Amino acid sequence: MSLDILNQEPFRFLISFGAILFLVLNLAAVLTMAERKVSAYIQLRYGPNRVGPRGLLQPAADVFKLFTKENVSPSRADLWVFLLAPIAMFIPAAAVWLVIPFAPGAVVADLNIAIVFFIAITSIGALGVIMAGYGSRSNFSLLGALRGAAQMISYEVPLILSLLGIVMLTGSLSLVDVVNAQAGGFWHWYFLPQLPMFVVFYIAGLAEARRVPFDLPEGESEISGGFMVEYSGMTWALIQASEFASMGLISAIHVTLFLGGWQPPIDALDLGSFNWIWFGLKTALIIFTFQWIRWTMPRLRMDQLMDFGWKVLVPVCLIWLFVTAGAMLLLPSVF
Amino acid sequence: MSVTLPEGDLQSRLERYLKGFRNRHGLGESAVEGNVVRLVVEPNILPEVLATARDNLAVLHLSFITVVDLEGSFELTYELLDMRGGIVRVKTRLEGEEPVIDTVTNIYPTANFHEREAYDMFGIAFRGHPDLRRLYMWQDHFDHHPLLKSFEISTKRTFEGLR
Amino acid sequence: MLREERRAREQNRGGRASGRLAGPDVRDEFGIETLEMNMGPQHPAMHGLLRLILELDGETVVRCDPVMGYLHRSKEKISENRMYPSVVPITDRIDYMNNIAMEYGYCMAVEDLLDAEIPPRADAIRALLNELGRIMSHIPSIGFLLLELGAFTPILYAFRERERIQNMFEAITGARMMFHYIRIGGVKADLPEGMPEQMWEYIEGLEKRLKPDFMDLIEGNEIFIARTRGVGKMTQEKAIEMGLTGPPLRCTGVSYDVRRDYPYGWYKNLDFDVITDEAGDVEASYRVRIGEVQQSIRMIKQILENLPEGEVMADLGRRIRPSEGDGFGRAESARGEYVVHVVSDGSDTPYRVRYRTPCTVNMQLLKEIVPGHYLPDIMPIMGLIDPVSGSWDK
Repeated sequence: MSLDILNQEPFRFLISFGAILFLVLNLAAVLTMAERKVSAYIQLRYGPNRVGPRGLLQPAADVFKLFTKENVSPSRADLWVFLLAPIAMFIPAAAVWLVIPFAPGAVVADLNIAIVFFIAITSIGALGVIMAGYGSRSNFSLLGALRGAAQMISYEVPLILSLLGIVMLTGSLSLVDVVNAQAGGFWHWYFLPQLPMFVVFYIAGLAEARRVPFDLPEGESEISGGFMVEYSGMTWALIQASEFASMGLISAIHVTLFLGGWQPPIDALDLGSFNWIWFGLKTALIIFTFQWIRWTMPRLRMDQLMDFGWKVLVPVCLIWLFVTAGAMLLLPSVF
Repeated sequence: MSVTLPEGDLQSRLERYLKGFRNRHGLGESAVEGNVVRLVVEPNILPEVLATARDNLAVLHLSFITVVDLEGSFELTYELLDMRGGIVRVKTRLEGEEPVIDTVTNIYPTANFHEREAYDMFGIAFRGHPDLRRLYMWQDHFDHHPLLKSFEISTKRTFEGLR
Repeated sequence: MLREERRAREQNRGGRASGRLAGPDVRDEFGIETLEMNMGPQHPAMHGLLRLILELDGETVVRCDPVMGYLHRSKEKISENRMYPSVVPITDRIDYMNNIAMEYGYCMAVEDLLDAEIPPRADAIRALLNELGRIMSHIPSIGFLLLELGAFTPILYAFRERERIQNMFEAITGARMMFHYIRIGGVKADLPEGMPEQMWEYIEGLEKRLKPDFMDLIEGNEIFIARTRGVGKMTQEKAIEMGLTGPPLRCTGVSYDVRRDYPYGWYKNLDFDVITDEAGDVEASYRVRIGEVQQSIRMIKQILENLPEGEVMADLGRRIRPSEGDGFGRAESARGEYVVHVVSDGSDTPYRVRYRTPCTVNMQLLKEIVPGHYLPDIMPIMGLIDPVSGSWDK
């Protein structure tokens, strides 16, 4: 039996799916450490630096601790909904990684409607938040769930609208085509012709990932944890993992759509099938900016958040769609 | 809308306050000492005296209400400030074990918490107070008023004994 | 254009959700009720142990009832059983962010009873430490305000300043927090050698650091402005009616400061401005506090330039046994007007000590101002009052 059989469906899919899951879980663990270190240096202190060399084994210690904690649930919680909510939050964050191209030819599932897949699966994240808050049956959780639902659903509109410019420019809904169309150096990357959409997608992505300044559903100050206040132990770890995974996911999609995916900035630096290094660097940069913003800005209040989403981001997207369409009509040679 | 605070020479202002009080009410003792107008009044005219202070003499700030338990009677001290150096200190004495006096929250709304504290700590009932509950101690099952001299601090008394 | 409009509307509306509450007929038809919720005594962001009973209509607060007493330590009762000098550590622990002013008020009250003359050097040192204590309290207050808004970094910058000041206090008084330094008749001991120079160096550094480390990073931030402008708006009448003192009162524009209007100690010789701001909202209270830090820096420089020589403790005999009567000590703590009323009956222990702490009275603001605001606005309004649970609960 030669190893070629592993290259055929369904083995290829199962193995790569396993690899992606491994990647996502490790990403979540590493990001806890990265978050703490980044926050520490912004706040003029050292982060964790005791466990392992320079603190690098801290995620292992965290994971071990969370595994050994008791899963407490409120007595009147709706147990099925309560326990399924973290899973419902994690699966969308993990599933979309299947369509992201890491390197030329390295995609787990080369869907020709990958962008629609991304949008559809990301919308399920909102469901997970509502399940968590509703299933906990506590006042703070309910408030957190309602806020989360309102925020995530309303910020999906600018999220989707900001993608449409790219779809128009590429002519296809496949992420592989989007990355291939950005070949030739960073001046071909889509963030230049689509700069407002680049910014809008970034902001809407912050809202979808429930990061500061949009972390009101989790509002640590007013409702102390919001929809996740009743979770502890492994269930909480799964919610945290899904949060970091979705932050990584939004960064990865952002990079794929606007920053050229695995394309190197200058053709001379092309690494062939090792271009996932470029992908990784760019994603890490975007994740770093997410964290930078988290630790420097205060959070928006609910009505200000909704105002901003509907009254600022959506008009910007719509206007730029017209501009893009106009540019495509008037300058067919360029676009 | 802004509030204007009194101007002018402190001594003349204090004399004016003293005269204002003397003209309108029958006071026990009244004098000006340093920057303080000291008054001693009967408890039944206390709200009127305070109303004069606020409405006619523009002494706008009630700083605090102190209750002293002089075993057998209670002495209340109301200190009013005109916020520009003048102090009006009104003392009154409530006799007996079950002291009752009219509230001044309709004149100085800030007295709300001061009177609640006086009720909580000494058991003084304020007639007409909008929300006379305990402020610091437990609001149910606790029937004692801790700052009375008859409430002893005792290391032998357990928590259960108190409730 | 949209942003200006929004800001103007928010300012006029004061951040309130007026007109949003469903009218009574809609409520009855749909059976809409308000949600009664506790922002409980255990809460990661409360300034201490405070229970707020909230009645919410969606995200709008209809009624807010503070329930206090979780940190009540019966300081007034304890003070009746301790001799006069032993009460000073009790006062230390009333407002644990600004301890020095608490000691100062009590000592002034007892000195009023004794009619004591305080040596000028002691007065100057008392004022110096009082102002350092004010800086030590105001800078973390700003940090806490921002922490509750969700910015996690300024509080760490603020505590860095506080640590530096606490190091100086440790050198002077021997303790980082509960100083027990201002005693009846003066202060416990003279400043150590080289301390005025060290303090001068620190103050100059702070003056240079205040703008880039705090003001520039906070004031222009759009989100900070959106969260604090128009929130907690009060009129001057309402503020005086509620009995507010200190920064909550001065942020509405009423210029009342105990240091200037009822001067005590070395403040009679100092030249400073009373910072007020017309807006009356949370942003105004932030500006008042930063302004007060700058004025404190100015006062500390004046005191350090003219520090008188001499002894630091008046000779009041071995036993403090005042004659019968009342003594009043009025000081300006970082949170407002702090008054101590000591009633003496001629014995070794006070007959009654009444602490008029500013926070107890300032908390009435929560009952009056919060209804009509949104739930997330409660935290900035607490940042306006800046309470400390030891101070409201005694």
